[in-house]
Amino acid sequence: MSPLGRVDSNTSGDFERALMTREGEALLVIDLSGIDYISSAGLRVFLMLAKKMKGSGRRLVLCALAPSVEQVFTLAGFTALFTVKPSIDEALGRVSS
Amino acid sequence: MQGHEAELQRSVARLNSLLDVSRALAMELDLESLLRVILEKATVVLEAERSTIFLYDPAVNALTSHVSGELSKGAVTVPLGTGIAGQVGLTRELISIPDAYADSRFSPQFDKETGFKTRSILCAPLLSPAGDLVGVIQLLNRAGGDTFGGDSEEILRAFASIAGVAIDRARLVSAAIEAKRAEENLRLAHDIQMSMLPRVFPTEAGLDMSAALTPARSVGGDFYDVLRVGERVWFAVGDASGKGVGAALFTAMTLTLFRATAKIAKDPGEALARINQELSRDNDAMMFVTVFAATLDIATGEVVFANAGHPPPYVLRPEGAVALETTVAPALGVIEDAEYAVGRMHLGPGDGLFLYSDGVTEAQNPAGDLWGTEPLEAFLRVHFSANCETLTRGLVVEVDQFAAGAPPADDLTVMALRRGPAR
Repeated sequence: MSPLGRVDSNTSGDFERALMTREGEALLVIDLSGIDYISSAGLRVFLMLAKKMKGSGRRLVLCALAPSVEQVFTLAGFTALFTVKPSIDEALGRVSS
Repeated sequence: MQGHEAELQRSVARLNSLLDVSRALAMELDLESLLRVILEKATVVLEAERSTIFLYDPAVNALTSHVSGELSKGAVTVPLGTGIAGQVGLTRELISIPDAYADSRFSPQFDKETGFKTRSILCAPLLSPAGDLVGVIQLLNRAGGDTFGGDSEEILRAFASIAGVAIDRARLVSAAIEAKRAEENLRLAHDIQMSMLPRVFPTEAGLDMSAALTPARSVGGDFYDVLRVGERVWFAVGDASGKGVGAALFTAMTLTLFRATAKIAKDPGEALARINQELSRDNDAMMFVTVFAATLDIATGEVVFANAGHPPPYVLRPEGAVALETTVAPALGVIEDAEYAVGRMHLGPGDGLFLYSDGVTEAQNPAGDLWGTEPLEAFLRVHFSANCETLTRGLVVEVDQFAAGAPPADDLTVMALRRGPAR
């Protein structure tokens, strides 16, 4: 999926609902190139998704993070919890190999 | 002549009961009770075997049923325009059907499911005082095998106009109560958050400290803390994710744990690791809190610090303000076995530290621009030598001016401390 816009305290609820409809997928690749801002509320949605998917042996890949978005993950110290790929091609390439 | 007299008597009786109804409905503000009263009264006044109210939901453009009598089953939702109730809702015109099974608009589906035998139907729209559709009231089977003739239509019109106004008002009242409740929750969250902050700072050996927290309206879980343990002052600034009472309680828990561990931990790294373990347990909501925590030895000026995903503070020295290099470790509450390495630095006499939460750098102006780190650093370059209260207050004013008085979107926290000058 390829969300667009900002993930902050106003939009994270909608984003969470949209993500939770897809959490049953064995593999979920999220293209974040359209996201220019993530607040801590948005980060929490990704953490919940990662925990749920990991808990049931499914995989989550994030790709194409804008530098400002990647910094949010880095500064909070959460990069180790996510598989992050520079582009959607690499995300899918790794997946098919 | 006798027949007319009897009919007139009956009309007067029904008009009187209609008056009773209007009094009863005027009293009732709770929506569920109101619907029950309307259904009871409608069944009696119009001498029907059963009655149904369909409430209109503009969001889905459909009607949802509330039924009277023993045949009540799960609520039915019909799109506007579908079936007899849907037709009445769409056209806002009363429909009277003397013989349901002879009318093509009637669907026998409901009868099939319930075993009820519909004969006659009288159905009218319920409108708000402004003329908006509130719902539809539907009466089935005039008692005694009769049809809804005579003045039934007029009585129902009068009844429906009273009921529509009453339902509309009850809905407005419940919306207002809901808004009030949300407001109370926010206030509760703020009270929890603010009541836990320390008001007095240590002043030994010329130590200067000041902190300020401006809470956002709906989001926020910022905190700061300062406590004296032996020769050291423990201090921290944190920011819990989430909003409302949940974030406030998570913040309160973090502060409580910080105060408890500060008394027993050898350094901030151990303290953060312990707090993290506690917070990570059963944290399915994945709330987390970023914390910068440190100790200052008042006598020697040695600072030991650890950082759990929080923006690093600035060191204030005579040559200016420089961001402190900290090891990145995860915010608390997510990775149960995370470790928090400590860093060490020395504050000379007159040197200080400036701590903040991301509500400062992510403050927004009405155009949606973020304040950023450059203006913060520019501010500190100019004011790094000011006393701590001037620093914290000045920064809050600066951010406030940038936001052009708009209420903060996130909590905004600043803390400054400075060692006393050399003696």
